[in-house]
Amino acid sequence: MNQAHISLQNLCYAYEEGAPLAVDSVSLDIRRGEFVALLGHNGSGKSTIAKLLNGLYTPTSGKVLVSGMDTADDRNTWEIRKRCGMVFQNPDNQIVATVVREDVAFGLENLGVPSERMPRLIDDALRAVNMLEFADRAPHLLSGGQKQRIAIAGILAMQPEAIVLDEATAMLDPSGRQEVLETALRLNRERGVTVVWITHFMEEAARASRVAVMYKGSLVMDGSPREIFSQVEKIRRFRLDVPPMTRLSAMLRERGVGLRADILTAEEMLEEVRALAHKA
Amino acid sequence: MPIKLDSLSHTYQEGSPFQATALHDVDLTIEDHDLLALIGHTGSGKSTLAQHLNGLLKPTSGRVLLDGQDINDKSTDRRALRFAVGLVFQYPEHQLFEETVRKDIGFGPRNMGLEEGEIDARVREAMDKTGLPYDEIAEKSPFELSGGQMRRVALAGVLAMRPRILVLDEPTAGLDPRARDFLLEDIRRLHKGGTSVVMISHSMDDVASLATRVAVLEKGRLVMQGSPGEIFSRVEELGRMGLDVPQASKLRHLLFDAGIELPECYRLEELADSLADYLKGGAEHAG
Repeated sequence: MNQAHISLQNLCYAYEEGAPLAVDSVSLDIRRGEFVALLGHNGSGKSTIAKLLNGLYTPTSGKVLVSGMDTADDRNTWEIRKRCGMVFQNPDNQIVATVVREDVAFGLENLGVPSERMPRLIDDALRAVNMLEFADRAPHLLSGGQKQRIAIAGILAMQPEAIVLDEATAMLDPSGRQEVLETALRLNRERGVTVVWITHFMEEAARASRVAVMYKGSLVMDGSPREIFSQVEKIRRFRLDVPPMTRLSAMLRERGVGLRADILTAEEMLEEVRALAHKA
Repeated sequence: MPIKLDSLSHTYQEGSPFQATALHDVDLTIEDHDLLALIGHTGSGKSTLAQHLNGLLKPTSGRVLLDGQDINDKSTDRRALRFAVGLVFQYPEHQLFEETVRKDIGFGPRNMGLEEGEIDARVREAMDKTGLPYDEIAEKSPFELSGGQMRRVALAGVLAMRPRILVLDEPTAGLDPRARDFLLEDIRRLHKGGTSVVMISHSMDDVASLATRVAVLEKGRLVMQGSPGEIFSRVEELGRMGLDVPQASKLRHLLFDAGIELPECYRLEELADSLADYLKGGAEHAG
């Protein structure tokens, strides 16, 4: 099937009639199984796009198609929400039940899934985020990273084809961030779930298969992490930065060391330095 | 105006079944002109400690001394204390509430009972210190501003009380890279201007770029304190506590394991210098 999984077609959105466009003429096709990092300064339109992807907002003009279904058509709303789940920034605003298992069941109940089918779906979802042993615990006693994994499990139980995570790691500590990112990467790799990962952390974006950059409502860059982050000056003009190791590689080149411009991680930097040391 | 924590302990809900000790016997002095970074895993007691610094929480045992005076002593002027130690919470922009930026920043000085003229002077000064253009935004609603600007309005609201010591809980969380750089620059300038700063942060790169001293909390205990260089060279110990190190320290450690030894450093610029030297003069060093 050649069809895009999620297709934004000349998408525009204004919060009020006559207000400036928060999203301005964005066209983007996301293929099934991609892991797309969506970057942009505060107020660039990233979160607005996230809410347009599963019909929480409907376009002012242009279209969003999820598996070919138009989000502006009310008849598609439930089907789209089931197929395209969302995880938000604040873990404490997303927990609805007093027991983890019941929290994960919430979405299934809303979809009218027969109760005899639920335990398997819930266990499977909790296992997928490595939280099965917490099934009977109280969610408010878990860490931020664990709460976000419960939120992901709640979506997974509905067997979605896509997950949109809107700064899901912003309020977490480094180990919590790591847990949530690894969980999303694994679901993408092992289950083929399409992931849209919105973040301000450039080193997280470096792990994506594709990076899209928003600036003042418009889509201004789109490519692989290596293509995007090797353009240090350009990405800074859009009020963003490059991952720390890419920055270091730029500093080294300024100091006359000839090494690759598209280094993303400390491990790649180590390899590059070893290779250069051998040549010297 | 140094702050000294003297065997500070804090237990939440003491005597109830939910009793939880958040701080155990912490001894720590924040000297004048320190920019102290307080790091630790979630739940290590960082925010609890911060809330003792201006008397929001009272110690279960131990003392908090400001300029040698116990801040929880009945004779202490608690109002004056609150003005001397400014506390900026996480996501402080959630606490903006006034109709205009000017009124929001002026709220603290107004509570101090200052005259209108003095309030306006303080608002202008605080906006200047945080790089907010008075003429452009003073009469705007704070809710029309960008996330980064809202954060700086919240900071300006605390600065308008002219605190001698500024306590910041995760000041850059949720900001985009540009807004983060601006805010770090504001903090650096305030510190240079003579304000002591205590900064809680999960971002070790922020800590590396600003801090003069680092204190590490684990499960309510102070387990390390020292210069950033001393603390960040202990990569493995920090790792066992679930803590990160700055990217430069991480790479230096990886290089060391690979047999490439570089001088102690924790900032990318320093690492770039020593790595460039190593690679250019590489022939005689490379093993």
